[in-house]
Amino acid sequence: MKLTQLILIVGLLAILVSYFRWFRSAVMDKLLVAVILAAGIFMVVFPDLTNRLAATLGVGRGADLVFYLFIVGFCYLILMLYAKIRKLEQQLAELARKQALHDVQTQSTGKS
Amino acid sequence: MHSSVFIVIPVYNEAPVIAQTLHQAVQTGYSIVVVDDGSTDGTTDIVRSFPVHCIVHPVNLGQGAALQTGMEFAKLHRAQAVVHFDADGQHRTADVDKLLSPILQGKCDVVFGSRFLQGGTGKIPRAKRMSLQLARYVNWMFTGILLSDAHNGLRALNRRALEEIQLSESRMSHATEILWIVRDKGLSYTEVPVTIEYTAYSMHKGQSLWNSINIIFDLLFKKINR
Repeated sequence: MKLTQLILIVGLLAILVSYFRWFRSAVMDKLLVAVILAAGIFMVVFPDLTNRLAATLGVGRGADLVFYLFIVGFCYLILMLYAKIRKLEQQLAELARKQALHDVQTQSTGKS
Repeated sequence: MHSSVFIVIPVYNEAPVIAQTLHQAVQTGYSIVVVDDGSTDGTTDIVRSFPVHCIVHPVNLGQGAALQTGMEFAKLHRAQAVVHFDADGQHRTADVDKLLSPILQGKCDVVFGSRFLQGGTGKIPRAKRMSLQLARYVNWMFTGILLSDAHNGLRALNRRALEEIQLSESRMSHATEILWIVRDKGLSYTEVPVTIEYTAYSMHKGQSLWNSINIIFDLLFKKINR
């Protein structure tokens, strides 16, 4: 086994462990993360497999195929995060509005 | 009648001009609601020295959010009509009655101020004129409504429009969101010529190109996941 493979495997395992340790989430989420990371480790151990897959899909090297898929996945992730931020901003606005209206109401009743 | 009309003025760090704007606003005799959107330059204290309602957001949320807060307050106080008015001194209080008259006559639900109609502002900077033309058509693409002006902050709403309009766009895309709601809820609308004062201050505080890209992005998102 090459040193690169070892480093990558350790890294992927570290992600898996920290995800399970710090993020409490649904069983399905954990399963999905485990499957994705297992696939990652599998591809690190057998790099020829991605090369052959890339060849059948018409891409030069396996690493290129992984890179292209990564770009698509990354863009999707950014969009999801932006949607989530918008949602949070709306919730923050509602919360701040309630607080502001409540403050002004108690001020005016306090005066009279 | 006068006190059941609420002028909603969103402010965010407008200390140099807010006193003059409010001085003119209180002379209209209408109820004034200032929504301070988390100012940090002492604007809040200046606002509190005037006989106006002052609502303070604990954090800065954006102009759309501030307008919505003002409208909620007006609703709680049984407002019959609401006017949106900018704090930076670019609107004239003389235009407020022009905006209200179609609503008080029961002719329509929403009145938009327009600087491009006959009798509106004469001198509009060239670059501003061009970007507004573009914005008109962006609004039309998103909402199907083509007005003679875009992003003019001066508008009036009657009680029905006040009930229907719930702004969820906290930042600047609320201007398009209002058109959206007008179309979806079948509110009737008209345009009235108004004058915009182009001062060095208001030009500096105005919209940048980067901001318009943000607005389009937010609108696209709203279109997708609403």
